[in-house]
Amino acid sequence: MNTDSRTVSKAVIERIIEHTSDTRSFFLRPCNDRRLSFIPGQFLSLQLPVDGKTLTRPYSIASNPEDGGPLEICLNLVPGGQGSYYLFSLVAGDMVNFSGPWGTFTLKDPPAAECIFLADGVGIVPIRSMIRRALVHHSQFPVRLLYRADCEQHLLYREELESWARQHARFAFEPRLDHLSNRADGVTDSFREEIEARYIKQDEDHSRYFYICGVGAVVTQLRDLLRGGGYQRRAVLYEKW
Amino acid sequence: MAILRILYETGDPEKVIEFDPQQAPFQHDGQAGSILDVMLGHDVPLEHACGGNCACTTCHVIVKSGMQNLSENEESEDDMLDRAPGLTPTSRLGCQAVFEKDGEVTIIVPRYTINQQVG
Repeated sequence: MNTDSRTVSKAVIERIIEHTSDTRSFFLRPCNDRRLSFIPGQFLSLQLPVDGKTLTRPYSIASNPEDGGPLEICLNLVPGGQGSYYLFSLVAGDMVNFSGPWGTFTLKDPPAAECIFLADGVGIVPIRSMIRRALVHHSQFPVRLLYRADCEQHLLYREELESWARQHARFAFEPRLDHLSNRADGVTDSFREEIEARYIKQDEDHSRYFYICGVGAVVTQLRDLLRGGGYQRRAVLYEKW
Repeated sequence: MAILRILYETGDPEKVIEFDPQQAPFQHDGQAGSILDVMLGHDVPLEHACGGNCACTTCHVIVKSGMQNLSENEESEDDMLDRAPGLTPTSRLGCQAVFEKDGEVTIIVPRYTINQQVG
């Protein structure tokens, strides 16, 4: 059964994977055989019962639309975040209510241009699915991922991303580690400076597309850097959580 | 005091909320003092699939009057509104349009806030 995004459905948590002590993947199996069609990059909207109210919280889908298996959402425990604390209290077999898919930060068909993905922390979640979509297309355009995290453990899906880089000559995976102590309420200087140097100062080719995802000011800072550096508005796509 | 008057394209009865903008936030979703914040905080529902994070267009509303009492659009809101079905020159996202002055704002909640894409 395929239904409108606004339909609220139930899903059972089939399993939970703990990536780190504060980052988990939840694999959701929609009930009543509801088949959910979505575009890489979209999110589910979970309705969570917290403190007697229904909290609406979005979680990007990490899994691949073609998988046909349970829907994977991946999130970290946000200090003071009611939604993540509630979800981290759940166990396999518990149920959640959700609607979706939602969101327009998507990659349905990759553009005929180089694609640069900039992921900060858990911003990798929607981008994981978008890169897979880009790589299955028969295209010669390069696909590159610059993925910043504050420690090795927070580089999620690292082995998988490295294996894709081995399998696809046109895909480059470039992890970056920057500790939180280096951050000044947003993107680290080194990450920003690298992007500015590579794609603005040292390169006048503005034909490439950027897909940026992360939490907080980092996302709009990178957006402004690239748009201000000569890339067209439509070529700098982003989602800020 | 400020007044938010809500009309529905579906023809549902209008609702009126009178409130003190200085008391914002009224709940947790959307910008403090935004149309979404005011509505949810007064038990008037408005869709907000992304939790009021400016990541979808489900809280799209059309401002019929009183735009001067609301905050200016920021780039993130405009980027998102570009993808809203039924976009009008006075469209806003409920989660981002913040009451900045006392006065009255009248909005229309569109019939559809379709944001679905299937792959």
